[in-house]
Amino acid sequence: MEIFSEFLNSYFLWRDPMIVAAFTGAICGFLGVYVVLRRIIFVSATLTQISSFGVALSFYLEGIGLAVFSSLIGPFALSLILTMIAAGFYALKRDFSRISREGVIAFGFLAASGGVIILGDRIASGVHDIATILFGSAVVVDPIDVYLIPGTAVLVFIIHLLFYKDFIFVSFDTESARLFKYPVRRLNTLLLITVALVVAVATRAMGALPVFALLALPPLASLYITENLKLVFLLSVLFGILSAVLGYFFSFILFIPTGASIAVTASVFFILALLWREVKQ
Amino acid sequence: MTNLIKLENVSIGYQKNVFIDSINLAIDCNQFWGVLGPNGSGKTTLLKTILNLLPPLKGQVLFQNKLVFGYVPQNEKFDPLFPISVYDLVLMGRYSRVRPASRLSRADKKVVEKSIESAGISHLKDRTFRSLSGGEKQRSLLARAIAGEPDLLVLDEPTASVDLKGEAEIMQLVKEIQSQRKLAVIMVSHFINTISEYSDHIILIDKDNDFFKAGEKDKILEREGLGKFFGLTSILN
Repeated sequence: MEIFSEFLNSYFLWRDPMIVAAFTGAICGFLGVYVVLRRIIFVSATLTQISSFGVALSFYLEGIGLAVFSSLIGPFALSLILTMIAAGFYALKRDFSRISREGVIAFGFLAASGGVIILGDRIASGVHDIATILFGSAVVVDPIDVYLIPGTAVLVFIIHLLFYKDFIFVSFDTESARLFKYPVRRLNTLLLITVALVVAVATRAMGALPVFALLALPPLASLYITENLKLVFLLSVLFGILSAVLGYFFSFILFIPTGASIAVTASVFFILALLWREVKQ
Repeated sequence: MTNLIKLENVSIGYQKNVFIDSINLAIDCNQFWGVLGPNGSGKTTLLKTILNLLPPLKGQVLFQNKLVFGYVPQNEKFDPLFPISVYDLVLMGRYSRVRPASRLSRADKKVVEKSIESAGISHLKDRTFRSLSGGEKQRSLLARAIAGEPDLLVLDEPTASVDLKGEAEIMQLVKEIQSQRKLAVIMVSHFINTISEYSDHIILIDKDNDFFKAGEKDKILEREGLGKFFGLTSILN
């Protein structure tokens, strides 16, 4: 009880990160349903790593005096550009002669992960900790994120409300969508662009690990609980918010890394959903 | 043009790999075409060319103005991960008449309800597609196909995953739908009995032997030609 009141009294410290975490959880939970149903979970993992690489590259370029953008938008801009390029590549290039698609996904993941660590080693100490880029920070977020993340989430929700039936259609039955002259390629690209945008914005603010966890685990838990697709989306948003907010709360009171705390909290929801399913059957 | 679809000197295949050359075929209203051929004979490639999903390698495919297709693909092609309800699946059949980013009207939803009723699956509409039996899935896909009020119904092995009773029920339903709505139907099947019972026109196709023959059932299903096509001459004799 004492811990809880101490947490409430520290309101000024956690208000902004909590807002960012809640909106990130909501939008990642929502988009994650597509990520899981389209079987591109590891594309999203790769995108979070590439996004991290963009952030690290921006800090590195700034450190050696070669910054392309101002320090305020540099990490976001580079992260977004690289994530969009990768998302476009994975959306449009379907066939890789001689090797499987998952092999190319693994290549992206490993190259970006290695790149982040190498660049992180060269970022001026005390400026930015590479662990923050990868695993998230418990204490602070940039003031701009308090507007950027909710703004991005609202924009992406609006796009998805507008194209809900179309995104479901092209995801479930591409062939019929082509038969009905739907712009399948453009719809698929738009869907992946919304994922890439959220990944780029959220990874810079919260780190790669929690963003990947919020994209994968809330929808998996929801799919265990209900057979109703609309309810899957709603539950996934709810689990995303709860995982992010509770994960942040535990990180704050227990002094554990935020990203790891969010990932573990989301995993607990997944385990509870699995148990619920087992008991129900 | 009075034909729904006309293929003129069409070559079908993928990239530069020609399966069958110089196909000439005309499909009219109210005809029931059966497509017969061994595995890998080019049946699905022919269907995809007819559906305008695959461009012909040579020649041209002419379509009647504003031709609407109803398509029943093989039900195994749907990812069982998707918790799509039968009602939502049938709604998709109506998307042929609704553009992206626009919503279905009340009239559209009425047509969907009617299609569900016609296919005899009203009791299944809240179930997920993935939880249905093979026969129920085919009925749901048929409901989806007719929800678009098509001129031409294209069925890719609609009875592949059902038992004998289920096959008879599905084929009866297809025949009813065809006669009520005066539709043209093209159906691929492995089963010569099904094709010969329900079709009035037949296509025999085998890309490995560069074989393509299309026409009225009685002319195509003559004993000698069929035996030769299936490599059963000695058995038939």
